[in-house]
Amino acid sequence: MKSKAKIQKAPVGKRIIKFWPLYVMLIPCVVYYILICYVPIAGNVLAFKDYSFKKGIWGSDWVGLRYFRTFFSSYDCLRLIKNTLTVGLIKCILEFPFAIILALMLNEVRNMKFKKVSQTITYLPHFLSSVIIVTMIQRILAPNNGVLNQIIAAFGGKGDTFFLMESNYFYPILFVMDLWRNIGWDSIIYLAAIAGVDTALYEAAEMDGCGKLGRMWHITLPGIRGTIGLLFIMGVGGLLSSGFEQIYLLRTPGNMDLADTLDVYVVNVGLMGGQFGYASAIGLVQGIVGLVIVITANKICKKMTEVSLW
Amino acid sequence: MKKKVLKRMFSVLLAGTMMATVLAGCGNDGGNTGSGDSQQSSQNEFSAQPSDDTSSAEGESQAEGQGQSDEWIADREIVLHAYVDDIYNALPDDQVNNPVFKEIKERTGIQLKVTFTPGESNSKTLAAQLAAGTIPDAIVCYLNNSARPEFPLLHKAAKDGLFADLSEYIPNSKVYSKYMEEGYLPNDSYKNIVFREDFDGAVYLLHLGVDAVDRSMIYDPQEAYIGGPYIQKSIIDALQIDPTSVRTSEDFYNLLVKIKEGGFKDDNGNDVIPLGPKYWGGSVDAMDWDFRSLMWGVSDNYNMDADGQIYHFAETEYVYDLINYVRKLLAEGLLHQEYFTMDETRADELYRNHSCAIMGDVHNYVDIVYESEDWIPLGPLNDIQGNNKMVTSGKGARGCLAISDEAENPEEIFRFFDWLSTYEGQLLGQYGIEGLSYNMVDGMPQLTEEALDHLNKGDEKWMWNEVGAAFGGSGVYLFEFITTDKNNIDYFGEARPGAAGGSTFQRSVDLATQYPREYKLVEGLAATSYLNSDDMAEIKAQLSLLNFDDVLVQAIFAKDDAEVKSIIESFRAQLKSSGNDQFKEKLMEIYNEDPKAINFYR
Repeated sequence: MKSKAKIQKAPVGKRIIKFWPLYVMLIPCVVYYILICYVPIAGNVLAFKDYSFKKGIWGSDWVGLRYFRTFFSSYDCLRLIKNTLTVGLIKCILEFPFAIILALMLNEVRNMKFKKVSQTITYLPHFLSSVIIVTMIQRILAPNNGVLNQIIAAFGGKGDTFFLMESNYFYPILFVMDLWRNIGWDSIIYLAAIAGVDTALYEAAEMDGCGKLGRMWHITLPGIRGTIGLLFIMGVGGLLSSGFEQIYLLRTPGNMDLADTLDVYVVNVGLMGGQFGYASAIGLVQGIVGLVIVITANKICKKMTEVSLW
Repeated sequence: MKKKVLKRMFSVLLAGTMMATVLAGCGNDGGNTGSGDSQQSSQNEFSAQPSDDTSSAEGESQAEGQGQSDEWIADREIVLHAYVDDIYNALPDDQVNNPVFKEIKERTGIQLKVTFTPGESNSKTLAAQLAAGTIPDAIVCYLNNSARPEFPLLHKAAKDGLFADLSEYIPNSKVYSKYMEEGYLPNDSYKNIVFREDFDGAVYLLHLGVDAVDRSMIYDPQEAYIGGPYIQKSIIDALQIDPTSVRTSEDFYNLLVKIKEGGFKDDNGNDVIPLGPKYWGGSVDAMDWDFRSLMWGVSDNYNMDADGQIYHFAETEYVYDLINYVRKLLAEGLLHQEYFTMDETRADELYRNHSCAIMGDVHNYVDIVYESEDWIPLGPLNDIQGNNKMVTSGKGARGCLAISDEAENPEEIFRFFDWLSTYEGQLLGQYGIEGLSYNMVDGMPQLTEEALDHLNKGDEKWMWNEVGAAFGGSGVYLFEFITTDKNNIDYFGEARPGAAGGSTFQRSVDLATQYPREYKLVEGLAATSYLNSDDMAEIKAQLSLLNFDDVLVQAIFAKDDAEVKSIIESFRAQLKSSGNDQFKEKLMEIYNEDPKAINFYR
């Protein structure tokens, strides 16, 4: 303990020399974040410029806040923001507890073989691409020969519902699809956190007559509170970014009133329409709102649970 | 201690590898102007050409070819990036040693290297690469007319100075000089693409695939594409209906009802659905054929009514006629529910199983049609004028070529593409090598028996790799696409190589002969092509965000009539707020100046 304190008090230079292999290993990570995450931030300047293919980002002419004015005064603005927030709420808030519940359930499984198989099955969909998942969904939900419609027909229903063309099915389909894809993967981190909870606490609780549910509620959940808080704060940052692939692929003219989100709009306008500045402006709005939400959530979390990112 | 040193060494090695991996993705292509292999590798592009062979091939031909003939251009490589997946799908495996590519090198000194970047769509890849400024010596892309989605990107790139000005080379060129002759280019090509006013005399974009002679009003079964709905022959025969007698939307509806009542079954024993999507997958495009008499907005959804007023289709009551008609078909089970949305693979499966009686849209040069006797053309149905003639706007064009402003000696590149469109260039590109794939008989090329055999068998690999010629598009599609001033009948005595000797496409020709089409000329450009002027920039930006096709389908699938009305009213409000009224005023001005400027008809 004494030597640890001594090391911590040592000057930065000395510490770097002492642990140089660790710092060397850190370099690629730092380079990655600088190149992939921080340098492109400078590209946000495009939101204020009339992008010229020839002059590039820095040489293009300034247009001030033109794109922001156009977007906020456009017919679709409110609808797009509303749809994006709704999809964000489904993905970040509504789906959030399910991974924790799965982790708690898996933690109670005593048969290790069954536990491992279940874990593998639940996290495998995470590795499937959105295109494959949506194609599967399209086939399952196809109006005439889709599996679901055939089951409905077998039970005496009409079996001709075009689920993807009806907007009232859009959110349930998205919710189920996204949950199925991510629940297993998201639960891994909670399982790791649960593994770190002191087992003596469970034994003490059991001796005090605490049941399984009681132990979950009074020991496991408080024990992983920090992890839950951190993941929640990071998750809410994505409220205004609904994810492009799934929504774009699930979108049909029938559900577009709900499926038109900012991410889909940015791709349509920017990449397909060639309006790069306009698309950047919308992307910048998303980024700023995401940052504000993260800061706010962090503050609230810190005040209420003493868990925070910084 | 030893273990510690090993651990440290391992960690340094690991870090070094990770670092190298990260940095490898961040390489610069060194200016994008060269035509060498460095550029290709940096862009993660595909090219069938092995780079090592290039230098040796260059060396050889320099010794052999320089100054040999008036076809000689320069000893160099030209990298052409194609945003045309049909070109990419039909390239030789080895572009250096391929007979046609080799012959081109020997005659002109040019080693042509074609690259392609796979992506979700050609236009998206074009947008991304133009925006990044990463184009090689020249690019080629689809561009039927100035209303295609690629055009705004090309226009912006040209205005931004990404392409070389070719105006000084055109007058002295062998083929492209014809573009300056009055009436040679289609109106849209001339005014909106090649010689645009806002280019101030410069020429940045060359429209490709222009016919030397306007045969747009002449029906030639040898090369006619018979598009539109196709019906299963067994079904129409069983119903004892003449497929050409189906003309009006009522006729069409009655036919669909009869099919449904006929209780026809598909290959799996399921009921046949009367009308299905396009063969290539669900799309609103098929409505232009299947519900033709209800498609009022003939000029990119705009048209002029009997009172001389211009409207968007959505602003008229005609839109409800169309919506109600399609809703009726859906409600009665006469139309496949995925008519607008089905993916291509499933649509293909649908028709291979004969699960729909009518394909919404296909043509006679698609294998499902020419490889069997199962499908025959239906109609064509009448349009809003009440006749079933096919509309033509005169001569057409197909693609666009642009040369990079930063390419080394753009004149050489231009001269090369000009040469490819000469008689010699087209003969080589279409027929291949004399003695190998064709012989000259009475001054006209005639495919050798071997070539004809491979062509009839559809042996693409042979055509790509053993010859490298286009064979009318069945082989290396590049040479079909990249040329202009096309006139196969006068130059080569047949509509396409091998047409005179019978071919795989015999049934395609037979269908075109049995079900001939008539044409009517409607001059003028599509209304939205007039959005490309500078004064319309803001309105264009707003209007381009609206998707009428999606709105139409949304209305067709609405729960009730009230919802249909609400959807259409909402779209009308969006049109208005996007500056549609100002655009219509502009269209009216243009129309008043020249009634043939816009392709309205009623």
